[in-house]
Amino acid sequence: MKKSNSMWVFIYGALAVMLVYNLTPFFWMVVSSFKSELEVVSYPATLLPNVFTTDAYEKIWLQEGFLLYFKNSLTVSLSTAALSSLVGIFAGYGFSRFRFKGRLAIMTAFLATQMIPGVLLVGPYFKMMTLTGLYDTLFGLILAQTSITLPFSVWMIKGYMDTVPIEIDQAAEVDGASRLQTLFLCIVPLVLPGLVATTIFAFLLSWGDLLWALCLISDPQKQTMTLGITQLVGQFRVYWSEIMAATVIASIIPACLYLVLQRYLVQGFTEAAVKE
Amino acid sequence: MTKTHDIGDVSNDGTGTMRDNYKGYLFILPALLMLVVILGFPALAAFLQSFNLMWVAKPGFSLGAYRALVDDAEFLHSLFNTVVFVVVVVSSHLVVGLSIALLLNMDIKFKWMWRVVAILPWTMPDVIGGLVWRFMFDTLPGIVNSVLLRTHLTTEPVDWLGQPGLAFFAVILAESWRGYPYVMLILLAGLQSIPRQQYEAAELDGCSALQKFMYVTMPNLKHMFIISLVLDTVWESRLFGMVYSMTGGGPGYSSQILTLLSYKQYFQFFNVSYGAAMAVVLATVLFFISLPYLRLSMRQQI
Repeated sequence: MKKSNSMWVFIYGALAVMLVYNLTPFFWMVVSSFKSELEVVSYPATLLPNVFTTDAYEKIWLQEGFLLYFKNSLTVSLSTAALSSLVGIFAGYGFSRFRFKGRLAIMTAFLATQMIPGVLLVGPYFKMMTLTGLYDTLFGLILAQTSITLPFSVWMIKGYMDTVPIEIDQAAEVDGASRLQTLFLCIVPLVLPGLVATTIFAFLLSWGDLLWALCLISDPQKQTMTLGITQLVGQFRVYWSEIMAATVIASIIPACLYLVLQRYLVQGFTEAAVKE
Repeated sequence: MTKTHDIGDVSNDGTGTMRDNYKGYLFILPALLMLVVILGFPALAAFLQSFNLMWVAKPGFSLGAYRALVDDAEFLHSLFNTVVFVVVVVSSHLVVGLSIALLLNMDIKFKWMWRVVAILPWTMPDVIGGLVWRFMFDTLPGIVNSVLLRTHLTTEPVDWLGQPGLAFFAVILAESWRGYPYVMLILLAGLQSIPRQQYEAAELDGCSALQKFMYVTMPNLKHMFIISLVLDTVWESRLFGMVYSMTGGGPGYSSQILTLLSYKQYFQFFNVSYGAAMAVVLATVLFFISLPYLRLSMRQQI
């Protein structure tokens, strides 16, 4: 397909517009986080900091306890991702390689539960956690967040496993491997990229969650990043440079992970959600 | 697109590989148990709560919560807001997402870099996006007013988040920005799966660029369009963090959406069955919206 020069000007022009549109909020966030407490609320606003300072970062790390929130978020998100992927490997293999009664019905159930809004579950979940003593524990939060990630983990992993030829299983069986050996020694290595993508995606969903942490955590020592940041927004005064510094920290990990992941992400969509 | 191996045939080819089909239950058991405990049970409990039957102060079947919904101005307004929010945001996602997917599908230079830039907004968690946009829309030090004033589009700073209609509009703008890459990625995957031969054939027949788009691209994208439409609608209807952190539903309840109201009823006012009833209404609507997607996905399964 050949395009005229003016066409290319239009295409790159449109891409440039997208660049500005997409990056402006990031730009504003980063720039504001390096301003002083006073400059950040000065009027009219400065485009770049007059005085470049890392005060806001030092404050939230050292005084506001964000080091702890960061650790909590990492713990919760890593565990959630690991749990849903581990369970998902077994279930994905089960759905991909076995034909049992009720298989389609159960798969539909997994898919349909993805549509359930969190607000429906979080109330009863709160009650369940209080009854079992898991309220206000990171473990309870991990279990809760797995409800967001489990259904799509199962479906995505199953989708990846469907792409592995059944001959691999048969060869393994001829060699005397059990089903578990086949799964972990033959199938898992072959779907590893997809598995990593699924795990990272689960991590990110958990990392960005606010609702569950808000409803299931009250101890300040157990707050996650997102919860900690919303608590920073004071009732009387808002320290924007600190909040922006905190949002920068909370955005860095997802941004980096998505960039590493983007190739697999598209693949994941095409294989798990939009197979034709 | 993906080659799915027809395992059903294998069990009949005499190798006997699939004689142990019952083992499938063992493999899915952990996931199924978790599904029942952390999704099925709470969903059922919420349903019962909405009828005042479980984990409420005085259990006993009652339609009171649902009856009250009909007369509750705040609920009706939040429902209306949710519909407006989802319709506007999802439409903007489809338009912007398709445009950028088309751009990224061309033979552009530095493709990888453009793609990274295109995905970035979606990497921001919605709570974080809400806070960043809240500060951007801030009356005095916000960048939006700064730009408007410097370009003389307004003479006085606009109180974006302090006025009922404007606050809701600002939230819609923010989520339009944040959520579109998800739709873009799905549509891009669809575009990439269209066989080149179809375009070549269309060219041989003398089709213009517009005709190619109308008669080759669009029909091929139909499935992906439905899928992104349904999934995005579900995601946006469930949105919570962004509105919570950006306006908290205010001023008044002008930018309130159903998820936020249900949360407030449940966790702030302790109207357990009332909050649950709202969530049940939302979940029911979402279930019906997602039916086309469920059907499409299940049809591809053996």
